[in-house]
Amino acid sequence: MATLTQSGIGAPPPTVPDLPTGGGGGDDHGGPERGNTRNASITGIVVLMCASTMTFGAMVSAMVVRRGLSNDWHTLPLPGILWWNTAVLILSSIVIDTARRLLRRNKRMYFNTLWTAGTIMGAAFLAGQAVAWKQLEARGFYLQGNPSSAFFYVLTWAHAAHVVGALAAVIYVEFRALRYELGPSRRTWVDVAALFWHFLDVLWLGIMGLFAYWA
Amino acid sequence: MRLFSTDHRTIARQYFFLSLAAVLAGVALSLLMRFHLVWPHASVGWFEKLWPVKAVGGVMTPELYLSLLTLHGTLMVFFVLTLAPMNAFANLVLPEQLGAKGMAFPRLNMLSFWIALASFVILIGSFLVADGGPLSGWTAYPPLSAVGAIAGPGEGLGQTLWFFSIGAFSISSMLTAINIIATVIDMRAPEMPLSKIPLTCWNWFATAILSLLSFPVLLAAGLLILLDRLAGTSFFVPEGLLIADAKIAHSGGSPLLWQHLFWFFGHPEVYIAILPGMGIISQVISNFARKPVFGRTAMIVSTFAIAFLGLLVWGHHMFISGLNPYSAIAFSALTMSIGVPSAVKTFNWIATAWGGGLEFTTAMLFALGFVSIFVTGGLSGIVLGQPQLDAYFHDTYFVVAHFHLIMGIAALFGIFAATSYWFPLMFGRVMDERLGKLHFYLTFVLSYTTFGPMHFAGFAGSPRRYADFTTFDFLAPLMPIQRWITWSAFALAAAQAIFLYNLFHSMRRGKLAPANPWKSESPEWTRDTEIWQR
Repeated sequence: MATLTQSGIGAPPPTVPDLPTGGGGGDDHGGPERGNTRNASITGIVVLMCASTMTFGAMVSAMVVRRGLSNDWHTLPLPGILWWNTAVLILSSIVIDTARRLLRRNKRMYFNTLWTAGTIMGAAFLAGQAVAWKQLEARGFYLQGNPSSAFFYVLTWAHAAHVVGALAAVIYVEFRALRYELGPSRRTWVDVAALFWHFLDVLWLGIMGLFAYWA
Repeated sequence: MRLFSTDHRTIARQYFFLSLAAVLAGVALSLLMRFHLVWPHASVGWFEKLWPVKAVGGVMTPELYLSLLTLHGTLMVFFVLTLAPMNAFANLVLPEQLGAKGMAFPRLNMLSFWIALASFVILIGSFLVADGGPLSGWTAYPPLSAVGAIAGPGEGLGQTLWFFSIGAFSISSMLTAINIIATVIDMRAPEMPLSKIPLTCWNWFATAILSLLSFPVLLAAGLLILLDRLAGTSFFVPEGLLIADAKIAHSGGSPLLWQHLFWFFGHPEVYIAILPGMGIISQVISNFARKPVFGRTAMIVSTFAIAFLGLLVWGHHMFISGLNPYSAIAFSALTMSIGVPSAVKTFNWIATAWGGGLEFTTAMLFALGFVSIFVTGGLSGIVLGQPQLDAYFHDTYFVVAHFHLIMGIAALFGIFAATSYWFPLMFGRVMDERLGKLHFYLTFVLSYTTFGPMHFAGFAGSPRRYADFTTFDFLAPLMPIQRWITWSAFALAAAQAIFLYNLFHSMRRGKLAPANPWKSESPEWTRDTEIWQR
């Protein structure tokens, strides 16, 4: 509820004195009741994650029904690069979360380095996905083909669209971090972006598990 | 009023006027449909001017009728019943009722509105394309909605645009839901714990949760069907389908899958339309009975019970689609159990009014009218919730009567009550009470005389969605009922001119509103005086 959360209260003093403090207000928008916009942002992103889960849930249940409907389902041979992409995505999540924790302890230089690394890994994941789609196409698995490949493309495209959105948020944080505008008491965007990034991991593991072990 | 505003009250008025535009268009379409049903061969000069291809000689073709039906349903369900009760009125008063400074995400709020407006423009555009508007109704059942222009004129580009419009609308609704949920949870004033927030807020909260859970499913289904249409996939198109003597190249999909996904959204949508109205009339009845709401906790619990059960009953729209009879029993039992929380609410509304110092303002009359219409429309829901009876009634006017009363008219009564009640907060003036009451009495009586006889037409087997009854001998004895319905619908529409005059006249010339015209104790009237200085 409306408490003045972490609005610079109890934050350790900045270790690099000649940089802007990155502290002060709870967030960069809202009037005097600033503290609760941070909570609202966290609630908002959690609620958005529920909505995304419903979208993917609808597609996956369509897939389950479609597979049980007739006997034309062929298992899709997954390109090996998908496992590398999975590893990169999980690693990026670990890196981004480590960065987030470091920012809370006001280690802003380390935060910037790690967040940049996480951003690059996120972009690498997308590039890897594009390679996987190309490989599948080269082997003759198209969207219009077997329902298994149709659902694979739809689910991975929808996931990639989410990654693009999340990456935009991560890059926005990156942009502000490099100008040292973020700090222990100015990190709502960081937490929100990191939370959504982890959600994309979970979503991806679900999709990957489905196609590797079920479909 | 700034056009691109993040102010929640401005956005509220923008939604209000968008809904108003949609409802005017929707009513006009329904009158055209009612005219055609009764005089299908009449030649009207300006029909031909409007639709040179689809009304040659001034006589509407069945395709034109179906496209009017589709636009009417889509406008009313999405742009009137979804936008007005929640987006317009929650934006208007929710922050004040919670003691918040504003909505949690003002820019997101603005974005929601502009996406909704874009969706509206695309929808209207889908009816202006060269081939004419889509024919698939607001439920857009495949396979005909999924195979493109071969399924009929308007099923090409028009139907594609329709799906894009609905996709955009889903995104807009999700964003609004996120905003309302975050506002209720995190933006309340410290002296406003959840245990104290007004019932309206609880209902908008429950509605937002329903939006959040159901619109993403519609979005997913819409994406899949767009791929069927544009990219040649076969999610919803079965093997070996013949349309217009041509074999469709798709294979192995299932039209039933669409029905499941669509109604998983579509049934909660009914509650998205009606729950805000229930909250509004609870406040209005309590206000004008000068009594607190009877059984406040029961009201909150029943709201969430309705919302929860509403998510589990989509199958009752599919009883005649070849649903497994055993699952039909489960869907039927769950459907009828919604009667329990609905009855709790009805009892509480009556008990709230009972023994109070009733003041029959326009808002109060519409609130009481809501209870009446809600009970009438709800009772036919119990009938339709039984698979055996639905097998007969499903494709008849009985269903048309049912959903127009429970979802259309009841929700509209909630909107009318809210408009009259919160008009001072929107425009700083009060609406004319005498005109308001006249509008209520005419609307109340004419709603029953329009939609009541549809039950009888349905009993007698009058099928819905037909463009022309005169070609079937067995429907000839029912033509007097249909004629009566048409005349009554014309009168009902004419009565709305009183509302429109009252609205626009009061907006500029109405009596200036005193600070708390209804002597309410609700925070939006007592807390904030800043708005009166604008």
